[in-house]
Amino acid sequence: MTFKMTRATALRGALLATFLPLAAAAGAQSLTPMRGEVTSFTEVFAVRVFPSNPYGHRIRLEVKVYDQDFKPVNAQVSPSSFMLGSQASRPVTVVVPFTDAATRKVRVCAESIPFPNQQTQIRAQICGKFLARRLT
Amino acid sequence: MHKLLSGCLAAALLFVTAASASAANVTFNGTVSATCSLNITAPAGTMVPDATLQQLSSLPAGGSPAKISLTTTGGVTLTVDPLVSVIKPSGDTTATTWQPSYDLAGVETATNAASPTILELAGTNLVDVHLTGTKAGSDKFANGNYIATVTVRCE
Repeated sequence: MTFKMTRATALRGALLATFLPLAAAAGAQSLTPMRGEVTSFTEVFAVRVFPSNPYGHRIRLEVKVYDQDFKPVNAQVSPSSFMLGSQASRPVTVVVPFTDAATRKVRVCAESIPFPNQQTQIRAQICGKFLARRLT
Repeated sequence: MHKLLSGCLAAALLFVTAASASAANVTFNGTVSATCSLNITAPAGTMVPDATLQQLSSLPAGGSPAKISLTTTGGVTLTVDPLVSVIKPSGDTTATTWQPSYDLAGVETATNAASPTILELAGTNLVDVHLTGTKAGSDKFANGNYIATVTVRCE
């Protein structure tokens, strides 16, 4: 979401504020599951999540993977960006490398993306937390 | 003989009754997983400056928050992130400290919270997201537009 301020003139000593257009830019999203534990025998583990759009207009979503400190994780996300229609949900597969660790905690986040040519920028994140264990 | 037959019939009836009265328990298991749905109802808030031009905020009169409706089954955490980038007028060359905060109303409440809130209860909450920018020392906000994006996270 965006905060915008417009200062009219210094002489007037007053600042005008503009409330940006709202109609088409509003978005909503959800994500399931939001918790999970995975075991894997290989160098990578996979998680399937289902972002959904429970509201009355389509939205553009992006799925990203972060570590515990919210640093981006080099994961394969298929698809990583897509349009989701009203009341729709779709599976997204995330493949994450263990990077030589025995366990790994990641956040898989569905993020709304602003529509182009809109004055507003919306960013809402819903993140699922996943713990993966590597079996050797 | 008649009594013997009657006795046998009664015993058989008892057996049938006992057999039909036996019960078996069946078990139902169900799990309600943590879910969270964000509906941005007002994606843009408005900030207004104070008289000294050293603070720009959506909190005072004239300002307005951005609004989100959050529906959850509980067991999730609501967070507003510090700002990553701000678009500001070229005349503003001094540093600004930006602080997002939020008010929570619904099944849970919070006022002017800046740190994460754990939402334990199921239901819908209305979240008013505010943003305040502050200049230090004698620095002031410059003439022009300021646009900042706040990330609201449910996890």
